Amino acid sequence: MASNAAVPFWRAAGMTYITYSNICANLVRNCLKEPHKTEALTREKVHFSISKWTDGKPEKPTVRSDSPEE
Amino acid sequence: MAALRREGRRFAPLISPRSITAVRSSPIAPTHEDEGPIGVRYISTQVVRNRMKSVKNIQKITKAMKMVAASKLRAVQSKTENSRGLWQPFTALLGDLPSVDVKKSVVVTISSDKGLCGGINSTSVKISKGIHKLNSGPEKETKYVVLGEKAKAQLIRDSKKDIELIITELQKNALNYTQVSVLADEILKNVEFDALRIVFNKFHSVVSFVPTVSTVLSPEIVEREAESGGKLGDLDNYEVEGGETKGEILQNLAEFQFSCVMFNAVLENACSEQGARMSAMDSSSRNAGDMLDRLTLTYNRTRQASITTELIEIISGASALEG
Repeated sequence: MASNAAVPFWRAAGMTYITYSNICANLVRNCLKEPHKTEALTREKVHFSISKWTDGKPEKPTVRSDSPEE
Repeated sequence: MAALRREGRRFAPLISPRSITAVRSSPIAPTHEDEGPIGVRYISTQVVRNRMKSVKNIQKITKAMKMVAASKLRAVQSKTENSRGLWQPFTALLGDLPSVDVKKSVVVTISSDKGLCGGINSTSVKISKGIHKLNSGPEKETKYVVLGEKAKAQLIRDSKKDIELIITELQKNALNYTQVSVLADEILKNVEFDALRIVFNKFHSVVSFVPTVSTVLSPEIVEREAESGGKLGDLDNYEVEGGETKGEILQNLAEFQFSCVMFNAVLENACSEQGARMSAMDSSSRNAGDMLDRLTLTYNRTRQASITTELIEIISGASALEG
């Protein structure tokens, strides 16, 4: 699947389309005025704990979170 | 429940006091037991009263849980219905081909973190295992990506070596697209796949949750299918604007499709979880009510029996004094 055209800058930097669209959405949300801005930014909170397994053994889970750890 | 059966056995003697020997030889030694003058055994009212109190408390708790689940369901349901519009254009364009023949397929099982929600997690796991079986054979392999504690517990037991990723604590904040898309990104980066099969419970109504499988293909497979004709073969009819090639666009679309389908799947599963919890708590409240009725009957019977025994003693004592 070698494409002769130049890949877009974000794909060359290692981002997927999903990451690219999330960053764009964040930029648009930051353009809002208060109070809609804080309301929209609450829709962006991320929190989950992911653990990669190799050969039936789990590695230590990492927590990807925007909220501060308590 | 077992204690209630024990009480039932003890009550047989009240109806037929001659079966004393059978009852006396029962190995269960109950506490708080009285033996009346003719060897009739009945349970102390104190025990029954305590039991009634605890069953009533449990009924209150399950009723409250049902209300909470109902309110959470209302909140998630509107989001879910809005999210259905995200993946429908993708299915119209790229189709959903569960029968596609691929070498490496990854099953994404979506389940809940909390329990007490009926059988929805077990059905999801059962379907995931079924897909795994369908797709294994020479040169084909299937791996799992697990979302949620409940499926994790079930899949760890027998499919340990096939698990790639486990993700939990998804519902700490309200579900939003950003969170699910970050998750989808992690999956895309860490797992190589030809086809992704997402297993979740689709929410049709408060009482019906249908386990469904959505298939998302990787861009290479989409190209391959496009060449072989069929629905995807029509993709060549589209004109591509801008400086991107068709392969580029297919890759972007595939990633975005995965993210949208995941978002919808996670929301639908959350709705199904709340609905299943509502019906589970409802049936448990009803069972507690039945149990309470049975215990009330037992209590009244015991009470009346003890009053009758007292009366008998008084009257026989009085007649002994007279005569």
